[in-house]
Amino acid sequence: MKPIPRVSRSVVLPVLSLILTLVLAAGLTAGAARLAGDVGPTYAIRNCRIVPVVGPPVEKGAIVVRDGLIESLGPVDRIKIPGDAEIVEAEGLVAYPGLISAFSNLFLEQPAQPGGGQAPEPEFPVPAQAEAAEDRFPPGPGLFVLDQIKPKKAAVESFHKAGFATVLVAPARGIFEGRSVVLNLNGEALGPMVVRNGAALHINFTTERGGYPSSLMGTIAHIRQSFIDADYYAARRAQYAKSPAGLKRPAYDARLEALAPYVKDREPVVFQCNNQEDIKRALKIAAEFKLNAVLAGANEAWRVADVLKKNPVPLLVALDFRPPATSQYATQGEELRKSAEAEIYPANAAALTREGIAFALVSGANVDGASVLKAVRTAIKAGLAEDAALRALTLQPARALGLDRTLGSLEPGKIANIVLVKGGIFDEGGRVVRIFVDGIPFEYAEVSK
Amino acid sequence: MKNPAIPRLAACALIAAVGLLPAFADGGSILIKNGTVLTVTKGVIAKGDVLVVDGIIKQVGGDIAAPPGVRVVDATGRFVIPGLIDSHTHVALAGTNEGSEAITPEADVGAVINADDTSILTALSGGVTMVHTMHGSANPIGGPNVVLKMKWGRPSEELVVGEALPTLKFALGENVKQASRTVQPGQTQRYPATRMGANAIIRREFARARNYMEQWDRFRKAAAVKNPPGSLVPPRKDLRLEVLAEVLRGERVARVHSYQATETVEFMELAKEFGFKIQCFEHIWEGYKIADELAAAGIGISVFADSWAYKMEAAEGIAYMAGYCAKRGVLVSINSDSGERIRRLFNDAAKTMKYGGLTEDEALRLVTINPAVQLGVDRIVGSLEVGKQGDIAVFSEHPLSAYTRCDLTVIEGEVYFDRDEIVKVREAAAAKAAAPRAEGGAR
Repeated sequence: MKPIPRVSRSVVLPVLSLILTLVLAAGLTAGAARLAGDVGPTYAIRNCRIVPVVGPPVEKGAIVVRDGLIESLGPVDRIKIPGDAEIVEAEGLVAYPGLISAFSNLFLEQPAQPGGGQAPEPEFPVPAQAEAAEDRFPPGPGLFVLDQIKPKKAAVESFHKAGFATVLVAPARGIFEGRSVVLNLNGEALGPMVVRNGAALHINFTTERGGYPSSLMGTIAHIRQSFIDADYYAARRAQYAKSPAGLKRPAYDARLEALAPYVKDREPVVFQCNNQEDIKRALKIAAEFKLNAVLAGANEAWRVADVLKKNPVPLLVALDFRPPATSQYATQGEELRKSAEAEIYPANAAALTREGIAFALVSGANVDGASVLKAVRTAIKAGLAEDAALRALTLQPARALGLDRTLGSLEPGKIANIVLVKGGIFDEGGRVVRIFVDGIPFEYAEVSK
Repeated sequence: MKNPAIPRLAACALIAAVGLLPAFADGGSILIKNGTVLTVTKGVIAKGDVLVVDGIIKQVGGDIAAPPGVRVVDATGRFVIPGLIDSHTHVALAGTNEGSEAITPEADVGAVINADDTSILTALSGGVTMVHTMHGSANPIGGPNVVLKMKWGRPSEELVVGEALPTLKFALGENVKQASRTVQPGQTQRYPATRMGANAIIRREFARARNYMEQWDRFRKAAAVKNPPGSLVPPRKDLRLEVLAEVLRGERVARVHSYQATETVEFMELAKEFGFKIQCFEHIWEGYKIADELAAAGIGISVFADSWAYKMEAAEGIAYMAGYCAKRGVLVSINSDSGERIRRLFNDAAKTMKYGGLTEDEALRLVTINPAVQLGVDRIVGSLEVGKQGDIAVFSEHPLSAYTRCDLTVIEGEVYFDRDEIVKVREAAAAKAAAPRAEGGAR
């Protein structure tokens, strides 16, 4: 990763002398302006093909980036290049919106549970304390993953090189896993990356280690009881706030306090769906408590297309083609499992497109950018149209996250997350040359003319 | 369940070879002709036909003409019987026990149906069309169970038999007190650790449930007045106690894993005290000691045919149990408790003829109409009668013969298992595997 800060750019950026001169000149003006607390740097990316995702591609276009936002874009002969702009000569490159993974485990210290299955049922049920204590559950719903992550340069670089500018980082432990954060991968410091903290509450159909619940059915009961309790808690607090006279003060409960917004204000809840049945389980719980549900994982979504058509919810489809442990494709021998992984599960996304079901493609537990892109190619080979794949990594995730006013396409006024690629972004030999995140350029290869 | 620690056996080799068997869609209509029809409730028809139209048995008798477009199966020389029903098993579930705590009636197996479990295929290969798939026996009060049809290839929700009696699993004895479990350092022994403890904790929970119901009654009464006070607070809804309240209200019946006579009778006393219904005792190897008490109380039993003495509390089991109890007027069914034994329920039923002296008809009832009665579905399945659902198995010989095998299994008029088809698929797969790689094979 080569971030190119304005002040030291001349040292970092080994480019042709002509460009260097231009850059320095632009840098001086912009730098001065920045000191005044006015506007950030300005870039003019020109002579590239632009794929804005909304609207048709521009064959020879220019994009003006100012202070982290897209100021203008269009055919190069119609865009006025501002005098203070650093010119980024991009002939032969294609500009796409920075890709978005609306569900990732990037930067997590603890690797996520290997996907695809539930925790196995312990052979001997391990007993918890005999009587249910009030505080027997970990304080999951109140946790912010932002407090637990450390950005890693290598991870940012790996995702940049795959075209990703934005990720949702989801927590990955427990049933009520905590709240995710949306980050723009714009450097190494965490604070400036944050697009939205507490983006969603994440729930996984797993079990608690060494205690209750130790089975999936216990987990489902636990999730339901928790939402019942949160609803009850919110109602008691509201009742008390309205007329406290003659009422005993409802006891404060940090866990229920954290859960209440999800039943009361319909803040988004992401369910990790490890197989087709989990999708139905999540939808059932969402209907019972009127949750604003988002389904993640869902690599068996094609098997429940009818159900998903009847219950349209945002889908964050993992690029994970391993049949889940419960699947009939996983339990009838290695030969079938392998062929299912190679041929059946990669066609999930293509099948959803055919059924007219909107979805985003997500990196999930895979923290290696190159293999995420490879998985996209696998899905494309299995029938997913390239433009559908691109939408599923740009506009669709932006919509699923409620961030489509600022992210997901190349449009004036949106955040300048732009990836410049030599070749098509999903091509086998496609190579990310530069990526702008929040208007900050990162260079991964020299722009060859 | 015998022991929660014994993992269920994996799918058998036959299934692995067959791979994915699609459900053959016949539109729910089929005519099975010229077989020996064992109706179970209406006698035997020597050369009989069974016609199913749109999933329902329309005619049982001789010389039935096939309506246009209806598939006809020639059962000449074969036996046509109602689909077998397994009153106690644990197939098609993602998880069996919520063993972390002693009392978990909120843990509903109906929430974790796994329609991809290949045990469904195993069941079909043994003529089984319906199962009562249950919470395990790790807890004094486990969770609600669910009745499923073995409709392989159909979505999980289509397997559920809504007409069945809601049931709740209870368990007594060694599994519950965790007799065979070694407490590791740092772990605590779960309460209860004795049989008296199991009885006590169940009593305690029902007392709580009663109290819970009273709280709600008081609240509803108070809320029903014209201007209820603003300080009126409803009780907290508790999923655990809601299920026990259903039992106390008679909306859900008890299915009780129990081995020894004494604790069984004690549980019957407990049920009397709280006024709830025991539908069935499970396994109950000492049932023969209290057959008259069971018969008098109208409580059924669901048992193994043999293979007792696998643990101390099963030491006094006898091979004559099922037959003897049936003759004393107890409603008896033979269960599998397993995704493997499920394919030879008919063999197990036959054992009661040798040990216990049951007639063919009586023995066949143990895996057809009797479990149907226990599950509250005898109005729709369990025998070949006009108006019942078309769940049918065709056997190569008499189903109680040691040499018989199931050839065809039909649910609601649709063929879900066809041995000939499977053999074809398997032979094709074997031929492919044996062919040289150049010809598309695996060699």
